[in-house]
Amino acid sequence: MLVIDDLTVRYRTAGGEIEALSSVTLEARKGATLALVGESGSGKSTIALAAMGLLPAEAMVPSGRILFDGADILTMKAEARRQLRGSRIGLVFQDPFSVLNPSLRIGDQVGEGLVHHRGFTTERAFARAIELLDEVGIVKPESVAKAYPHELSGGMRQRALIAGALASEPELLILDEPTTALDVTIEAQILDLLEDLRIKRGLTMLFISHNLGVVRRIADEVAVLYAGQIVEQGATEEVLQRPVHPYTKGLLAAIPRIGRRMGRLAAIPGRLPDLRNPPSGCRFAPRCPFATADSANPQSLLAVGARMVRCSSAEALRDTPWPVQHETVPAATAAAPTASAPVVEVENLTKSFVLSRGALHWEGWRPVRDAVRIKPVDGISLTIAPGEVVGLVGESGSGKTTLGRTILRLIEADSGLIRIAGETVSDKPQSALEAMRRTAQIVFQNPDSSLNPRKTIRELLGRPIARFGLAPKAEIPARVDALLDLVRLPAHYADRYAHQMSGGEKQRVGIARALATEPTFIVCDEPVSALDVSVQAAIVNLLADLRDRLGVAYLFISHDISVVAHLADRVAVMHHGKMVEIGPADRIMNAPSHPYTIKLLSAVPRVDGPPLARGGVTAARNRGVMV
Amino acid sequence: MAAFITRRLVFVVLVLVAVSMLVFGVTTLLPANVAHLILGAFATPEQVRALELKLGLTDPVWQQYLRWAGGFLTGDLGESTLMNRPVGPMLLEAIQRSLMLTGLSFILIAIIGVGLGIAAALRHRRPLDHGVSVATYLGIAVPEFFWAIVVIIVFAAWLGWLPASGYEPISAGVWEWAKHLIAPTMTLVFGHLAHVSRLTRSSMIEVMQSPYITAARAKGLPERVIVLHHALRNALLPTITVLALDFGRLMGGIVVIETVFAYPGLGRLVVFSIQNRDLPTLQAAILVVAAIYALANLLADLL
Repeated sequence: MLVIDDLTVRYRTAGGEIEALSSVTLEARKGATLALVGESGSGKSTIALAAMGLLPAEAMVPSGRILFDGADILTMKAEARRQLRGSRIGLVFQDPFSVLNPSLRIGDQVGEGLVHHRGFTTERAFARAIELLDEVGIVKPESVAKAYPHELSGGMRQRALIAGALASEPELLILDEPTTALDVTIEAQILDLLEDLRIKRGLTMLFISHNLGVVRRIADEVAVLYAGQIVEQGATEEVLQRPVHPYTKGLLAAIPRIGRRMGRLAAIPGRLPDLRNPPSGCRFAPRCPFATADSANPQSLLAVGARMVRCSSAEALRDTPWPVQHETVPAATAAAPTASAPVVEVENLTKSFVLSRGALHWEGWRPVRDAVRIKPVDGISLTIAPGEVVGLVGESGSGKTTLGRTILRLIEADSGLIRIAGETVSDKPQSALEAMRRTAQIVFQNPDSSLNPRKTIRELLGRPIARFGLAPKAEIPARVDALLDLVRLPAHYADRYAHQMSGGEKQRVGIARALATEPTFIVCDEPVSALDVSVQAAIVNLLADLRDRLGVAYLFISHDISVVAHLADRVAVMHHGKMVEIGPADRIMNAPSHPYTIKLLSAVPRVDGPPLARGGVTAARNRGVMV
Repeated sequence: MAAFITRRLVFVVLVLVAVSMLVFGVTTLLPANVAHLILGAFATPEQVRALELKLGLTDPVWQQYLRWAGGFLTGDLGESTLMNRPVGPMLLEAIQRSLMLTGLSFILIAIIGVGLGIAAALRHRRPLDHGVSVATYLGIAVPEFFWAIVVIIVFAAWLGWLPASGYEPISAGVWEWAKHLIAPTMTLVFGHLAHVSRLTRSSMIEVMQSPYITAARAKGLPERVIVLHHALRNALLPTITVLALDFGRLMGGIVVIETVFAYPGLGRLVVFSIQNRDLPTLQAAILVVAAIYALANLLADLL
């Protein structure tokens, strides 16, 4: 159906040419699902754009063919390519929040391909759009078709996008991270829907994802990409259970798994090679623990059993696991959670926001407008012991972030008691929170927006030290060096700006900044969500080490239950602003009692455990459920 | 929404009241004795005194203001001290002519500005884009009276195609009427294109890079549909706001243009009444300009 043959793509940038793809060869067989897996910079989205003939103007294709049903998409006329797009090939994008046009009705956007490809009238296309919305499991498709994108939830938008891609009955569906922006329960529904459609319509799917658990649920075959090359390709279950290429091994080892608590995750050290000048030998060699003298020579894809692996020592490495480095924790400073007074106590905390106001009506003599409120934090009580990690999980909109910020009084609570390090802070004015601001800190999700781009790292880290007068001015540089050392960044990084660092390094700076005031409690608000798996593992390890060495307590907020399961001592589950369950991590993961927790856990895509039956199972159950 | 509009309308009224006080205050402070002006240089002090009493000029200022404002509300705008005609009909005529000029200019600014903006955005960083940028900047950077003179020299003096100044009513023939409008319109449009075209260009460039445009391309839609149906809708929002604000600016621009082209509209009336100390006309005219400005801004907020 789709054959990609020896495809190389380069992007012209200000800093030189970047080789995004290097002789990639792939084949998506009719009626099957091929998954492309890789971290950021692997080139997986470039494949999707190239297959659609949508490469940006900066892209050059020095070699390769993309054959769709025998015809080369790269050399055909622009008009012929346009006819193919949206008609025989459909594309579903990653972010349902930005790929729908905000000023057009859903029904128009779903049906418009039909108007231009099949000559439908606008009315007929709209009517067909309603049928398609119904087919992808949207309840009340008539009213949804008339709605604008901002009126729909993420899951509904993603369904609408899929409906739009299916409108003209394509033979090939390319999905670029279709569930990444969604909550796990919605993700499970979308995956079931796709599997359902594949069977019913005989679709061929090219599924692009960074999430190996998701891939396991949907793909027959998987190709692992690293730095623009395929490093391993084979049947999904084979590759995920018995990886051969060192990168695949590392990627799988870096994933935290529910029900298997390890001391530390296996991180992949180092970073992507410079793609302006890719090394001629193995591109993974600088990060590979198994690198040999032969790694400096160009590697080609070799058959290892039924699969293809780009590593000359593949045969030898078949059964060698990825080495797990154990960080040595100095025993003297390792602090175990003690029975002393809790560092955080929250009682009956409530916060509500006014969403909108209702119609005007009279209450006695005065006009009143009722407020439509949501309560993201609804009567929450919680204690955190010194050095304890409490994981906070829940879906988007459940109130996790609001709770974290309300505890730190970055958002003012409506009512309730907050006590931090024995001091009641909920009744004090902001001006009297000096001590609390020092004791309790926060690490944000996105270091790009939380680090001032115009300040060097030295200034960023020195500022809180100076602000709280923790060291005389002359000693601040030494303190900054010590902080960088603590988060394992080299000292010369102090003179860099945020944009000169990678995502993982920036997040280390974010953590160092939180640590600058020597706090006893840190709210970690989705600190690893924006990071790749291999980098995420290193940051999670760092947070675990810091807890052991400094005895800091965390409120670790994440939508990724596996990460929380790995790091947290206790886990709290939030749903619609209420804490539905809290308990030791092992118990919550292995024997959850609340139905919502059970639902949440069963939806998590896993890379291990018994393979899930594909398709149909939950689809039937979820049909007709508004998402 | 209704509550919002009501609140804004109340603000508009408050602004107009403030403006009227300001205008009245400033004009009464002017070193001009109205009675003296009416009667001419040879009037005796007794005659001036008598007329002052008759016109109520000896009353306290606030009484004069209330009388004037009350007249305004009942439709009596007073009488032009210079031309001995009621201000109302004179002002109405001038407003009609000025609205003709500004309205035409406004429509052309919107069409040409948005068109140039789209063209420049679609040819981002290519010669056409740079050409449009330079031309529109030149238009806004050089003062209007300069372009007015250039237009007169080129079209009236050299080519002789258009009259250099004046106005003909439509009853004198459509072509005669149009001929007198072309030159001032051209000058106004050129001076105001930059705002609209630059803003359309930048928001269009941004929109064309947004994911939903890539998604529209992935649906295989023709480029024309992508630009006009998907992109323009979203790119025009900021432009519409600026257009409404520009209408207010145009009302200010006509003072210069009407003077240069001797076009008998509101702008010229203002200048004329200032030069001749015709206070009732001046007060009424400025209040009208302020009202148009305030309403244009209100409209901009609503859109």
